[in-house]
Amino acid sequence: MIKKARDLTKKWLEGKEVDAIFGLKQEDGYIAPHLFIDASELDNLMLSTQHRLCYTCRPSRENILSLMQRREPNMKIGVVVRGCDERALIELAKRGQVDLGKIKIMGIACNQEEAKECRCEKPYPSNLVLGERVEGVSEDENVDALLDKSLPERLAFWRHELSKCIKCYGCRNVCPMCFCKDCKMEQEVFTEKGWLPPEIPMFHFIRFYHISESCIGCGECEKACPVDIPLLTIFKLLRRDVKALFDYEAGLDVEQKSPLLTTLDEMPMREDVTSGV
Amino acid sequence: MEYKNVLTTCPYCGAGCNFYLQVLDGKLIGVLPCKSHPVSQGKLCIKGWNASEFVVSGERLTKPLIKRNGEFTEASWDEALDTVAKKLKEYKESYGPDSIAVLSSAKCTNEENYLMMKFARAVLGTNNVDHCARLCHASTVVGLVQSFGSGAMTNSIKELEDADCILVIGSNTAEQHPLIARYILRAKEKGAKLIVVDPRAITLTQFADYHLRQSPGTDVAVFNGLMNVIINESLEDKEFIKERTEGFEELKETVKNYTPERVEEITGIPKDKLIAAARMYAKAEHASIIYSMGITQHTTGVDNVSSSANLAMLTGNVGKPGTGINPLRGQNNVQGACDMGALPNVYSGYQSVADEKIRAKFEEAWRVKLPGKPGLTVVEMMNEAAKGNIKGMYIVGENPMVSDPDISHVREGLENLEFLVVQDIFPTETTQLADVVLPAACYAEKEGTFTSTERLVQMVRKAVEPPGESKGDWEIICELAKAMGSKEFEYGSPAEIMDEIASLTPIYGGIFYARLQRGGLQWPCPSKEHAGTPYLHKEKFTRANGKGKFFGIEFREPAELPDEEYPFTLTTGRIIFHFHTGTMTRKTALLNREVPRGYVEIAPADAERLGIVAGELISVKTRRGQIETKALITERVSEGVIFMPFHFAESAANVLTNPALDPVAKIPEYKVCAAKIEKIKVSQVI
Repeated sequence: MIKKARDLTKKWLEGKEVDAIFGLKQEDGYIAPHLFIDASELDNLMLSTQHRLCYTCRPSRENILSLMQRREPNMKIGVVVRGCDERALIELAKRGQVDLGKIKIMGIACNQEEAKECRCEKPYPSNLVLGERVEGVSEDENVDALLDKSLPERLAFWRHELSKCIKCYGCRNVCPMCFCKDCKMEQEVFTEKGWLPPEIPMFHFIRFYHISESCIGCGECEKACPVDIPLLTIFKLLRRDVKALFDYEAGLDVEQKSPLLTTLDEMPMREDVTSGV
Repeated sequence: MEYKNVLTTCPYCGAGCNFYLQVLDGKLIGVLPCKSHPVSQGKLCIKGWNASEFVVSGERLTKPLIKRNGEFTEASWDEALDTVAKKLKEYKESYGPDSIAVLSSAKCTNEENYLMMKFARAVLGTNNVDHCARLCHASTVVGLVQSFGSGAMTNSIKELEDADCILVIGSNTAEQHPLIARYILRAKEKGAKLIVVDPRAITLTQFADYHLRQSPGTDVAVFNGLMNVIINESLEDKEFIKERTEGFEELKETVKNYTPERVEEITGIPKDKLIAAARMYAKAEHASIIYSMGITQHTTGVDNVSSSANLAMLTGNVGKPGTGINPLRGQNNVQGACDMGALPNVYSGYQSVADEKIRAKFEEAWRVKLPGKPGLTVVEMMNEAAKGNIKGMYIVGENPMVSDPDISHVREGLENLEFLVVQDIFPTETTQLADVVLPAACYAEKEGTFTSTERLVQMVRKAVEPPGESKGDWEIICELAKAMGSKEFEYGSPAEIMDEIASLTPIYGGIFYARLQRGGLQWPCPSKEHAGTPYLHKEKFTRANGKGKFFGIEFREPAELPDEEYPFTLTTGRIIFHFHTGTMTRKTALLNREVPRGYVEIAPADAERLGIVAGELISVKTRRGQIETKALITERVSEGVIFMPFHFAESAANVLTNPALDPVAKIPEYKVCAAKIEKIKVSQVI
């Protein structure tokens, strides 16, 4: 697969289909995002399910692709993505952060094992170019275990998990959807500052709420958490609620507007289907 | 357009996390975590996440400055270096080499620290070289060397995860070494026991099985009490004691007097809790001790450290994974600065300057005669400067005007110097007193290595160009040495400096850049084939005879105790959102938003008695000085104890602290002094 990806990206670059390739680069065994301008560099292109591409840069709080596109608006960029990366791109485009017209997507499917490792519900992109599409996980042990608990038990569970928080803001920092210039998690009006752990549950609830309808389920927040707070679990449940309440799923279609970005005059929220995370 | 990610090592604490610096067209645009790094595993703390912001701050020093008629004026590198070289030569010739002192930096790379100590010894001809390790872990280096033979963290960070019991004493790990706390919490989730010994209720105490809350400065009594219980109940590891240690009878004789009842009297820890904690620690298969400045920064610092070593050896918890004595080093490269010999008594690799054979080795390598008499330590340098015996000082990457104890006295010393040159990345409270200021590149702008608290030597890589005319510290030191006439500072790159370090330093003998590119190496790493050492003292101790040594240590009181006039015990420390003197963190928006100003923690009962309300500006006074700061009323401190973070120059805790020293390690007693609190009268406020 990696050879195919290298050959194809070279073909895109040499055939002037794109001006640059944005993908993962391996150097001395370490993998990180990189912009390949020269085809010869592409021998270091790497595929990994564990590394994402579209991070929000801080302190400017702009997605790396928006920064690149603003710098060179006419550059056509080929992007080597997994399903979750593509969903992030679609949500970012929906919110005016990136211009998909200048992006050519090379979608790579994850295999069954990789999907299981990431607890991924949709391990393939819609622009599938390489690999075989496999179904994602439908059951999630962590989610089920949580739902088996009584409400007081769940409260105690989250209290314990959130009490470990060391306020690194890593969950927000790695999130492709967290690009607000005036992040409410940082503001004293919403949560008290200067303490560990940060105010329970408000500090985390701000993000849970704000990302509930744009979360694309990549699980980066959980992977970035130094104290292993099971954030993917709560976001899976929130995504489930959004789907049930609004019949909406983030990251599928750039034309489909988010229910929380539109007025809901005609369609009130259904109250009988919340899973009560 | 160019976008790349440059892997490097975090410039804050000693955990040694790695991250990528994101670079777009030569400009730093952020930080990304590194998922394949063994310690950070794709996670970072709030400081690491924001470690690119200060780099691009507009306040960076960009040109050499020379003070003329009390005002700094910009100068060329040639002029600045000539001025410094001329002055230093003059003092060396007229007053002798020991009239000059240098302070190296735990923020700088190994290569730079090596060059600093080489500059002091080979060019200036003095052993007056020291750095902030004196103020944080000097007692560790002394204490663990006398007990074990090696002054470093015995085990690896990741091993903590598999410990059965972790005893944390004097380390606010979750705030000061957040990514190390990760492994404590993971151990806890797996069922390990956690004992926290700390006068304050710290972040970790909420997860502790026992929180032993001792009066500040009574740690030796706590250790002796724990050992008294263990020996009394025959829980000691008799085989380990017999096979691998010496001096047990001396220890036994001493600790028998520290009954739980007596220890309760001295420390305030209820005897039942002490007994239960002692059993918990002794019965664990793999028990690990973590400590930090809470036990080192005392006049009994060495005693405290040796006592922790006593406890570990008594229960056979040395020389296997998930055990040991784990001092957490506070700075990114304070371990490395010590390893490189930026200390007055040793060359790189802790090789004694007083040892003729070793001195001869360095003399041959550096082609110069070297001084054999150990030099002055940090606080002694300031004392000698105040007395007029030190004429010139060269400070690299340190800010003693905020970091050292009794700042008024530090000012007196630095102002009394005939010549002060300070090399830094920002203007600081210390550069203000300098005659010449040299602008340096920061971690993101140069190549080198840092050694983390677990003895892990890792690459620091250049991501962007230094601002203005600033240069890497290693380049500046080399140019200064050449300006003074030395021919021994011809290096084409930091890699060449490491080659020289490896050739002269047995514990770094196998460390070369080509090996480090794919990941760090833990010293001792004596040869190119050696894979490094995850934990020390496996079959025998590093001490000359291979045995660990017990010391019977009596409890001694801190140098200054509360009295009628100064009724509070003041203790100092750090918080997660800032770092040391704030030079970097206070230029980072998010960190400043979390905690913008200094404060003093005071117990609710004390606040009520004195009529102090939350947030009120109050006066804190000791025999050294007085500052004003706001009151933070919290149960994190117990009655009679107050706590101040030392990051804030405008309400500097170190105006108040006591410069009394440990007699051997010469570390000051930052953790205990007597203080009084007063309300500020309204007229004074207006």
